[in-house]
Amino acid sequence: MTRETRLKKRYAAEQRFRMYGIISIIISLFFVGLLLFKVFTGGATAFIKTTLEVEVNYSKELLGFKKTLEPTLGEIKEADFFDVSYQAATSFYKYSNDEEEKFIKILLGGNYEQEIKNHLFENPHLLGKKVVLNLTTSDDLDQLHKGNFPRDIPEDRRRINNFQLKVYDSLVEQGKIKTKYNNYFLTHGDSRDAEIAGVAGAIIGSFFSIIICLILAFPIALLAAVYLEEFAPKNRITEIIEININNLAAVPSIVFGLLALGVLLNVFGLPRSTSLVGGITLSLMTLPTIIIACRASLQAVPPSIREGALAMGASKVQTVMHHVVPLAMPGTLSGTIIGLAQALGETAPLLLIGMVAFVVDVPSVPTDPSASLPVQIYLWSEQAERGFVEKTSATIMLLLGFLIIMNSLAVWARQKFERKWI
Amino acid sequence: MTMEEKIIAKDVSVFYGEKQALFDINLSIGKNKVTALIGPSGCGKSTFLRCINRMNDVIDICKVHGEIEINGKNIYDKSVDVVQLREKVGMVFQKPNPFPKSIYDNVSYGPTIHGLAKDKTEMDQIVEHSLKKAALWDEVKDRLNEPGTGLSGGQQQRLCIARAISINPEVILMDEPCSALDPIATAKIEDLIGELKETFTIVIVTHSMSQAARVSEKTGFFHLGKLIEFDSTDKIFKNPGNSMTQDYITGRFG
Amino acid sequence: MTAHIVRSYEEQLQDLNNSIVKMGGLAETQLENAVNALIDRDQEAADETVGRDDRIDDLEKKIEEKVVDLIALRQPMAIDLRETVSAMKISSDLERIGDLSKNIAKRSRSTNIELPDEIKKNIKAAAALVQKNLKLVLDSYVDRDKEKAIKVWSSDEEIDNLVNVTMNSIIQFMTKNKDNIKASTHLLFVSKNLERMGDHATNIAEIVYYLVTGDNIDGVRPKGTTGVVTGR
Repeated sequence: MTRETRLKKRYAAEQRFRMYGIISIIISLFFVGLLLFKVFTGGATAFIKTTLEVEVNYSKELLGFKKTLEPTLGEIKEADFFDVSYQAATSFYKYSNDEEEKFIKILLGGNYEQEIKNHLFENPHLLGKKVVLNLTTSDDLDQLHKGNFPRDIPEDRRRINNFQLKVYDSLVEQGKIKTKYNNYFLTHGDSRDAEIAGVAGAIIGSFFSIIICLILAFPIALLAAVYLEEFAPKNRITEIIEININNLAAVPSIVFGLLALGVLLNVFGLPRSTSLVGGITLSLMTLPTIIIACRASLQAVPPSIREGALAMGASKVQTVMHHVVPLAMPGTLSGTIIGLAQALGETAPLLLIGMVAFVVDVPSVPTDPSASLPVQIYLWSEQAERGFVEKTSATIMLLLGFLIIMNSLAVWARQKFERKWI
Repeated sequence: MTMEEKIIAKDVSVFYGEKQALFDINLSIGKNKVTALIGPSGCGKSTFLRCINRMNDVIDICKVHGEIEINGKNIYDKSVDVVQLREKVGMVFQKPNPFPKSIYDNVSYGPTIHGLAKDKTEMDQIVEHSLKKAALWDEVKDRLNEPGTGLSGGQQQRLCIARAISINPEVILMDEPCSALDPIATAKIEDLIGELKETFTIVIVTHSMSQAARVSEKTGFFHLGKLIEFDSTDKIFKNPGNSMTQDYITGRFG
Repeated sequence: MTAHIVRSYEEQLQDLNNSIVKMGGLAETQLENAVNALIDRDQEAADETVGRDDRIDDLEKKIEEKVVDLIALRQPMAIDLRETVSAMKISSDLERIGDLSKNIAKRSRSTNIELPDEIKKNIKAAAALVQKNLKLVLDSYVDRDKEKAIKVWSSDEEIDNLVNVTMNSIIQFMTKNKDNIKASTHLLFVSKNLERMGDHATNIAEIVYYLVTGDNIDGVRPKGTTGVVTGR
């Protein structure tokens, strides 16, 4: 083979290698793009809801007040709104029999009575007046309006029957069907009614879990890594500990769930389904990640810094805490945030400790039962109703968004705190 | 021990695990004098230097036998606190290693941890005094808050010297302080050594024989862990007693 | 002693050594020729000697350059330092010896008279001793032999005495032969030159001793105690 042919072959090989790289990147980007596209197109609609314009008569008689009375707000809140709601729910369309009445009523969302109440509580001067409100419709109507229900399949296979379709079409013609921003999604807890189901509970649950995870995992991991790297004698025992920590990082997360179930719930009797237990479980999982990141950062600090400090008469502890640890911070912080981002997306262990129960209220303290974002996604993906599909995708969007933010934080933290040491 | 002898090494031997690196070293370092240690690579001169401030303690497999007396007290005695020892015996390393902090913080670190300044004014004075004594003050007085790592190599080394003298040691150990510097920076440090010896006792390890000849009063020649010859610098470089010393100095070597 | 790790350094030192040896050889030859020119009243030999002095002067300049180079480039230490400095000093003494030989040759042109046997004998003896010392001291340099150096150093007295005797005999001749005063004066100078050459040889001996041992030959150089030479 002559030199020229050899050279040509080398260049050709290099070109091929580059092509492989580019093709791999394109394939990966394609799948990522596909995922994101699916999720975003599926979930975007969760942020809007369909409303129906309805006239509500806050009549004093229907509320059970004497005509002449001027009730206080407290008294208004105690009133029985059933009659007012019933009247509002059945007055927007002419019906001819009980069955049709039923069909019409369920076109409104499950929370409509609360909505009517809230409006009066916020505007008590409306007592005795007739007001036009935009009430949230049921999830079936909502999905119909968003175009997710095909209308041409046989009636008995549809959730919306022909009569309801007629009502809907007429209401649309009258301009009474509107779409608004879905305030329920981010402010409400889970619900049987898909139209008012929200992720607020899951967000708070995840938030508490992550905070607890951080508070527990970071200091313990940092001190453990510092001790193992700087102070522990290099003998068999520390070797074994190191191997075990590395292995722990690879343990399937569901095992930690079992551990939490057995120890935290059964032995210590901590409350089930709470973000406290979730946080502790996640911190156990995140510990190895942070320890490994911290140790790698500590090892990367050049020995000349330690020698310089020791030669100044600093004790071992002073050397480590004043000089080595600050220099190891960027790497440690990156590892921590990546560990937390992982923890944010963990589902299996949280399922096992019961953060799966149907929880409606938004938790206010970590010892309240709650769900977490990935668990919420799992739960909703199991639901039959169409309305939950878009919400599942929307929650995935939220989760991805948080993960991107956290990873960006990791990058920012690394850059900000990186110091040059020669 | 006479008034002039600051450091006395008695039968000092050093082992790295099974391997012996120093064999029964006996020598004495004079007070307020510069003593140079020369020898080919791996001869043990740096190992010996690091025995004087017990930096070898940091290395697990390193064992030191024998005694080293400073001011008449054996520093390897059980009762000696290493941290206090290093307050008295400072060290400047081969590659300048300022802390990744500001110039001010570099010099004030030692006095801070040893509690040498009562307030900020006193600390400012210590920092200024140390930087002046290290012949660096004029060059950095307007930028004390800039990072120490932003200085040139020669300036960084002088910063390390300022850092070492900020805690008022009695002895300064220098491990090839100029080997990473250009000739001008080297000359500045040699000049500085000439001034520093009036206040401190200096032991310097160097690869450059002409440097040893220029700055020191006494020179020790090490080879394969043994101290071959230890005499006045004048004698060593004009008419050494040992042929191995002469061979090394003149660039012959066996 | 092992060679320098840098071979060109070794070669430089060797070259310096060789230059000194060569210069010494030249000086010896010049001395021999000058004395013969004087005793045999050989005009041609005298002219040759005068002409050849340039070669010694050139060598001295070359050696000086080599020494400066060595110091600048090699920063010689210990024995190498002594070698370098010694070469510089020895070349200076050898150059003076060469000049003194040239001077003798010049003066021989002006002493174109038949010398009395006694004077001839004395001059020959003094010159022979000087030549012997010069040869011995050059040998001591080549062999780096301090014993030979000591021998030369201690025999300077002998030369002084011989020169004294020579000069006395010349003065006696001068007083008896007043028309030969000019020639006699030249002869006196020649004797003085011989004595100076002996001193230079002794200088070289001191340098060789320092080169070999690193110490100075102790003690005051013994001088001839009486006579014209010392003025005491």
